[in-house]
Amino acid sequence: MSFLKPKTHIEQGDIVILYLSVNSMHAIEAVPTIVNKKGETIAHIFQTPYGSLKVQSIIGVEYGSRVELSKGWAYVLQPNPELWTQTLPHRTQIIYTPDISMILHQLEVRPGAVVVESGTGSGSLSHYFLRALKPTGHLHTFDFHEARADQARDEFKRHGLGDFVTVYHRDVCNLGFTSELDGVADAVFLDLPAPDLAVPHAFKALKLSGGRFCSFSPCIEQSQRCINGLIKLGFTEICSMEVLQQESVIKTRSLPVIDLEFLKMPKSSEANSIDDSKAKEPKELKKYLTSSCPQVLPGHTGFLTFATLPPNIPKA
Amino acid sequence: MAVIQLGDYIVIQRQKYTKLQKFGSLDATATLGKEHLELKSLLDQPYDSTFKMCVKESKAGKRGAQRQHSLELCSENELRSIRDVLNISSSGADNRDISDNGEAQALKSSDIEQMREACNESSKIIEKLVENSKTFHTRTEYSQDKYLLKKEKKYFEFVQIRQPTIRLMVDIFHRQDADKIMGIRVDTLSQIISYSGISGFGSYLLYESGTNGLLPAAMLNSMGAATDSTLVHMHPGNVPQKQAVLALKLPLEQQQRCISVNLYSVLREFYQGDKLETVEVTEESVKTEDNAIEQSEDIEPSSKKFKLDESRNLSKGPPRWQLENKRAATLMNDKFDSLVMAAKEHPSSILQALLPLIKPSRPIVIFSTCKELLQETYMELKATGKVTNLHLTSNWMRTYQILPNRTHPEVNMSGNSGYLLTGYTLK
Repeated sequence: MSFLKPKTHIEQGDIVILYLSVNSMHAIEAVPTIVNKKGETIAHIFQTPYGSLKVQSIIGVEYGSRVELSKGWAYVLQPNPELWTQTLPHRTQIIYTPDISMILHQLEVRPGAVVVESGTGSGSLSHYFLRALKPTGHLHTFDFHEARADQARDEFKRHGLGDFVTVYHRDVCNLGFTSELDGVADAVFLDLPAPDLAVPHAFKALKLSGGRFCSFSPCIEQSQRCINGLIKLGFTEICSMEVLQQESVIKTRSLPVIDLEFLKMPKSSEANSIDDSKAKEPKELKKYLTSSCPQVLPGHTGFLTFATLPPNIPKA
Repeated sequence: MAVIQLGDYIVIQRQKYTKLQKFGSLDATATLGKEHLELKSLLDQPYDSTFKMCVKESKAGKRGAQRQHSLELCSENELRSIRDVLNISSSGADNRDISDNGEAQALKSSDIEQMREACNESSKIIEKLVENSKTFHTRTEYSQDKYLLKKEKKYFEFVQIRQPTIRLMVDIFHRQDADKIMGIRVDTLSQIISYSGISGFGSYLLYESGTNGLLPAAMLNSMGAATDSTLVHMHPGNVPQKQAVLALKLPLEQQQRCISVNLYSVLREFYQGDKLETVEVTEESVKTEDNAIEQSEDIEPSSKKFKLDESRNLSKGPPRWQLENKRAATLMNDKFDSLVMAAKEHPSSILQALLPLIKPSRPIVIFSTCKELLQETYMELKATGKVTNLHLTSNWMRTYQILPNRTHPEVNMSGNSGYLLTGYTLK
């Protein structure tokens, strides 16, 4: 239930982020026992590189606290869409925070908004939509993979978000977003291999008073076809973009400053040995706070195509 | 659908150009380049309507004629695209027969000027321009399009009136003068909202030193109408910059959940509220402190109203700012669910003062236009051990022209997204 609103203490059943380091975070369920592969109920012990955690011991603990592991320690954090995106079980490729933020901004999602999403995938983006539109809006999310749809539905319920979302198992490219959703959406989001096939359905789902559209595709050809479809149906403000985030690696560096001036002077036999030893050990260290880009960073995620459906375009 | 009312802020759009304008009175006019538009006829028309600019009079100005227009609501027929109206067919294959000798257009500029006053429709003017252009039909289709777009832009006589949203406003502000919103680019703004976790639940803290109200407006927008979330908005001035907040025309209950307070006086209230007896002392010190800070309160529509309120309140009881300070101090005692900072001052001391007001396991987001400040803050925060999962990030954003066989990144892009330092508080 830990996704609904900010809370202070871990309750049984919460998803908790166990934070070991920047590169090592785990989402665990705060339940004292789990059922193992043999069907036996056993104590819930979570293994980490710093030893094991008896999960029962964190129930009732304040979020943000340090908890002891058998060979070290970790922090327990309340999950939110950002942390969840970094720890969730991947069932598909997922979209990350920089793209998602732009999607939410461009689709103008705010509390009360009705959003239609396809496909649900691993539910990374869905969690963001839900945070932005609750408590008064609703998310309709579609996936053509039945097990994925079921898993997502179950996950939203366990995260305390079930009231604000309807998960559908449906192939929207061929079947559309169901007639009940005609003219109800403020925004439609597509992450499909052939978004152009779903554009007419998106058009139908958007309100008569207009709305916003977004399609995410890794390849430019998909965006091209999608845009052709959008133009035909009278969408305006069509715009495609790419957003990439760069991380700065911050380090304090100490640089030796070597003296080369003495080399201009002739060697004298006595002073010689002293000078040589001086030259070998640096005279001075200068400290700098530096930042640099990592060696490898994401160079491409996808093209985001946005468009506006103007009001009062006849849908017949 | 919402209708345009007096007192509204409106977005005027002509082609791709957009402008934020207050529709303060029936006499109000808007200026788009050399064109002056009378806004009178917008009253009670639905938002998103398109209006035709009709020339009323034309005065000779320093740089060509200044034209005064009235606006007329458009019919459907008028909204067809120029290309359809003109029905252009023949085009060349490349530009081998085109030379830039200034003789391509047979019409003189005085002819065009006359035509502009005589006939209202841009399609007619462009038709004439095309007829009299010796090279138009030898141009490639692509080049014809470009020519038409260019001419259309110049002679286009339609404007659309839209309701301001955060999306439209950040575009306008960033294009007009990015410095006035501290250079916060659209991608960075979107990430501030994400990382800080602003939503319909929770109590949030914002410090900003002048973004035309964009940050509080974006946060209020994400908090939503008819929810329980609250925002304490700290600023260094006498009055907060609120243009963007006012432009959103939020319901009163939502506006009231943003408590705007002066940073100094609210902290004094928080630390020694009970001991404070004389109002004058705080008021005076606030003012002197403010003078030290460079202020840019050029567009501050709320300032007058605010002062009136204050003087009215004075006669009845404590001034409004003092009541707001008390409300804010109560929320500060309960602590906040996230912290957002966009300071023109050095962030360290402000962060030191505000960080203890944030609950554990909550996000903090600090914006700065330059990296060096945040590098230092990063190290300081790391040393305290009060914040974890620290990241210093920036963005690269590129828009694309996507057309059949002519797809490429746009020629210009913005080079500075600003920087974000994010992390989570610990117990």
